[in-house]
Amino acid sequence: MVAVLKSLDSPTQAEFHEVIAARADRWYAACLRITRNPDLAEDAVQDALLSAWNKRHQFERSARLDTWIHRIAVNAALMLIRKAKPATWEPLESEVPDDTPTPDVIHAIEALNTDLAEALNQLTDIERVCFVLKHLEQWRLKEIAQELDTTVGTIKQALFRAVKKLRVSMADLRSQ
Amino acid sequence: MINDDTLTLYYYNDGLTDGERKQVESALRNDTALAARYDALCRQMSEWSDPEVPTAPPHLVGRWHDSIDRAARSENAAPAIKKHGPFQFFSFAWGGAIAATLVLGVALGMFFSGNDVIPTPDGTPVEVIQSALVPSSFTRGLQVHLRESQWELASLPADASTDSTQLLMQIIEQNRMFERAAKQNNTPNVARLLRAFEPILMRLANEDIAPEDAEALRAQLAFELNVMLTKLASDPSKEAHTT
Repeated sequence: MVAVLKSLDSPTQAEFHEVIAARADRWYAACLRITRNPDLAEDAVQDALLSAWNKRHQFERSARLDTWIHRIAVNAALMLIRKAKPATWEPLESEVPDDTPTPDVIHAIEALNTDLAEALNQLTDIERVCFVLKHLEQWRLKEIAQELDTTVGTIKQALFRAVKKLRVSMADLRSQ
Repeated sequence: MINDDTLTLYYYNDGLTDGERKQVESALRNDTALAARYDALCRQMSEWSDPEVPTAPPHLVGRWHDSIDRAARSENAAPAIKKHGPFQFFSFAWGGAIAATLVLGVALGMFFSGNDVIPTPDGTPVEVIQSALVPSSFTRGLQVHLRESQWELASLPADASTDSTQLLMQIIEQNRMFERAAKQNNTPNVARLLRAFEPILMRLANEDIAPEDAEALRAQLAFELNVMLTKLASDPSKEAHTT
């Protein structure tokens, strides 16, 4: 009986369409900032939607459906980027910058169309991901550490480096 | 001496102990240079807080809407299959056939009869036989992928487990690679068809799925993969035709 009531209270197909129409841009932008790859960002949103649909009976009505899917999409993006570049997540303290961006990446970053997007491009994967999760997604440091399977101290260091680099590159971009 | 890293954590209200926060608060009250540095940090940080959100390409948004519709259809098809008790195997085979026809019939028809009408620059409609545009190396690769998927799905354990979820996620990833290759080979109908498998695979990968639903979905996928393989075998690539 409880299960039946719960399933009756699950978000409907129409509600899913409604949030896709209203919020898909934001989910895609968040995934694009994390992955810097349009294909992976697309897959992350797709995975998140199907996962949310399959688990919609677990959705609590006190929460917002779009926020719930947003969080799932960010998690999916993190999973995809770790699968695509597993080595990136091992030397977390590394100062080695990213590979030269491919045309796809450049196009995706241009689509973000802000100085910040350009400045984010100068960061390593770990710095960018920590900054995006902390500053734009407003995750707690502890949550980021858990999700990336590392320590809060490591996340703090990556975040500090990201903020320092961004302050310099944003100032440079403004002065141009 | 309070450095910018500590000010960053203070700004985020995260990562400092109560004692450390109080220390920063007190220093900000008493040290004007530090307060100026913190103001500058806050100004910069707040400028980064609301970046412009780009519009997702409309074809992607359309695809995401479709994926929900497909997931809903595949879900509705599965419970209908398991209502027939003693004749379960035969009834779900029938149900699988019907569901497969409903879910992928249109896409298969478009791909294999393949006559898309497209306008030329002067407005004259031209029929393009899409299947004839599939390069044979791509077709062979696709056949191998479909056969392997079929074999892997057949050998999945009956109950949902972490292993089977991982295997299904691998099949989904490979499917996406072929979908992208299909797009690059100018065969959007093949890409659409491969994309149509994804909601069913994702539903099967869901660890909460009931065993009878999983069995029905596996039967549905086996049927669809068979249809696609049969058609690929009997529809070798030739030249592109226009009429």
